[in-house]
Amino acid sequence: MAVGQRVLEATGRARPGRLTRVREWWEHEPVFGYGLIVPALVLIVGLVAYPFGMAIYFSLSDYWVGSPGSFIGLQNYRDILGNEIFRQTVYNSFVFTAIAVVLKCVLGVWLAMLLFRPFRFKRLIRGAVLLPWVIPTALSVLAWKWMFDSLYSVVNWTAIHLGIISPPGPNWLGMASYAMAAVIAVNVWRGLPFFAIIVLAGLVSIPREYYEAAEVDGAGSWGRFRHVTLPLLKPVLAVVILFSTIFTFSDFNIVQVLTSGGPVNTTHLFATFAYQMGLSGGNLGQGAAISLFLFPMLAVIVFVQLRYIRKE
Amino acid sequence: MYAVITRRRFLRASAITLVGTSSLTLDRAPAVAQKRELTFLSFNHFVPASDDELKRQAEVFGKQAGVTVRVDTIQAPQLFAKRAAQAASQSGHDLIVTGAADPFLYEQQLIDMGDLVDYLGGRYGGWYPFAKETCQTASGWRAVPWFWVAFPGCYNEVHFKKAGLQPPKTWDDLLKAGKILKKQGNPVGIAISHCTDANISFWSILWCNGGKVLETDGKTPAISSDKAAQVVEWYKELYKDAMEPEVLSWDNASNNRFLLSGKGSWIHNAISPYVAAVAKKMPIADEINHHSSPSSPAGIHSATTVNSLAIWKFSKNIPLAKDFIKFLFQKENYNAFIVEGSAFNQPPLKAFAEHPIWASNPKYAMLPKEADYVHEQGWPAKPNAAVQLIIVNFILPDIVAKAVNGMPTKRALAWGEEQVKLAVQGKLETKGKAS
Repeated sequence: MAVGQRVLEATGRARPGRLTRVREWWEHEPVFGYGLIVPALVLIVGLVAYPFGMAIYFSLSDYWVGSPGSFIGLQNYRDILGNEIFRQTVYNSFVFTAIAVVLKCVLGVWLAMLLFRPFRFKRLIRGAVLLPWVIPTALSVLAWKWMFDSLYSVVNWTAIHLGIISPPGPNWLGMASYAMAAVIAVNVWRGLPFFAIIVLAGLVSIPREYYEAAEVDGAGSWGRFRHVTLPLLKPVLAVVILFSTIFTFSDFNIVQVLTSGGPVNTTHLFATFAYQMGLSGGNLGQGAAISLFLFPMLAVIVFVQLRYIRKE
Repeated sequence: MYAVITRRRFLRASAITLVGTSSLTLDRAPAVAQKRELTFLSFNHFVPASDDELKRQAEVFGKQAGVTVRVDTIQAPQLFAKRAAQAASQSGHDLIVTGAADPFLYEQQLIDMGDLVDYLGGRYGGWYPFAKETCQTASGWRAVPWFWVAFPGCYNEVHFKKAGLQPPKTWDDLLKAGKILKKQGNPVGIAISHCTDANISFWSILWCNGGKVLETDGKTPAISSDKAAQVVEWYKELYKDAMEPEVLSWDNASNNRFLLSGKGSWIHNAISPYVAAVAKKMPIADEINHHSSPSSPAGIHSATTVNSLAIWKFSKNIPLAKDFIKFLFQKENYNAFIVEGSAFNQPPLKAFAEHPIWASNPKYAMLPKEADYVHEQGWPAKPNAAVQLIIVNFILPDIVAKAVNGMPTKRALAWGEEQVKLAVQGKLETKGKAS
């Protein structure tokens, strides 16, 4: 506790210096507390709130690269809603996210269960599983692009030589449904480790006794999974699905590198179309409106999932 | 034993570290005393030796002018974001490379280059007509054309010889030859996908057939026409009988691979496959040759993107940047630039078309002449903001892609017209954006 001036005078001690007084002021609980929060606050305001505010401002203005625009209200939103490419983008985003998240969830739980079992080189393999998540996306997607190449596709070459398909094989990045399948496959490949490792952490935390009790009650492996593993994994799964949904909805690299939104815009996602319109095309107003369209959708998903998690 | 770190000790140590590190920076000379620096932002050239030559010339200029010249090169697609960021923050490089609609999009942010354009034009035989189309906005020259890249026909002589065919002079010749070549196992290829090459080819073929996307005013859509319908029908036939479905997934490098693999017999592209084959000493280099971009009833027209040089208004080195541009165009420098670029960098000034490199290799001989047929994308309109959206949204190749996938030609063109209307809508009324 700081000692008052009169007490010091009464005891005949010297007056504290300026530095001491600054230190005393700094050590006041409210000052010190807020002082610690300020750096984080500055970061959030500078790197999140300010760009977000600017994006909202851009989306409400006729802002083009190189020439500041005037306020035009919701015109950009009306314009993009009237654009068939945008409507296609909304559809693509939902298809892409729904299929990719479901696949990552099912395969992620499966992979986590496999990794949970004792086997040789367990640590090494658990580490290796994380590789797709760790490698820079732009690099790994270039490798995938080569694998889906129209002329040198190793996927087609293998399938043809195994007799699974007949030559020349599917034109992966040239036909709408194949291209969507390709971008989903790469997204699942990349996002799967994230799911698996977090679910694995959830699995580790389930007490062994529950399984033993279930076994005593006559539960088989499916029964144990359904009545013990799954219910106890629910909170972990809810969080991981929430994160994955956000990441998948806002994916950019995979589509940009693999298809540039083609063929005929059938793989465009919000981020790729916003980039195309705003930065490549120079229409920053519409670009911002496209990327902000994602915000209310994600907000609803986050709200519903967080409510569910809190209930759990 | 561990030392106990109290809050006070921690703060004191942090403060000492902070003061210590900040005092380190005092060693550096204050900015005002540093050598003046001119900065230039360009893209990574397809031929790396071209960038090396540019940097060498920058160094020589720096020594002569007593300044430092920094040339930064980044991947071409990153330039969009970089330019937008520099314009918004009013800070960055002094000199930037621009192309297509950039001089129009950034019209209010770039200085007028009229004096420099006049000086260079007077000194080096005048500018080709496309220079005006691509860099002169309503308010003056906002960039100096630097170099352009021809888009001729690149073909495999052996495949053509085997089929008893001559290189095509017209787009109809290509269709006829392509049908035979595909049967021979060597299809032709024009990209119908989300890539720059697909855009360039469509503009070229449309113009040769008398069609256009926008009227000269840059605001009135003109894509839904009989001429455009003929072009789409031609594409459908070419796709079915002379190409393979892989053209629907091509990027800018795919057609190069297609020709270099030995499978493809003809592509519409820059001379990059040949340059790459020579550089990598691939035997197929001997089989590849070039011919003028084909014609049709409305003549020969070929699309390109002209790379130009622009100076930001916020630059503090405007006269120096202009001197640097003059230096780059000095005869010995520009000639060296052409040579190191393996004939890829084509001059917008007529005097440089007499460079011996074009005559040194018969495979380059037709390249300078292509300048007479070249237009910037968007022509007969100027490459304004609407043209930029049409290009980056790949509206033109998507019209064709829809048609070859079964959509009736009229509907595909109606879709294209709708997209062109959206690109034009309301955006061109703001000053500075219209042509």
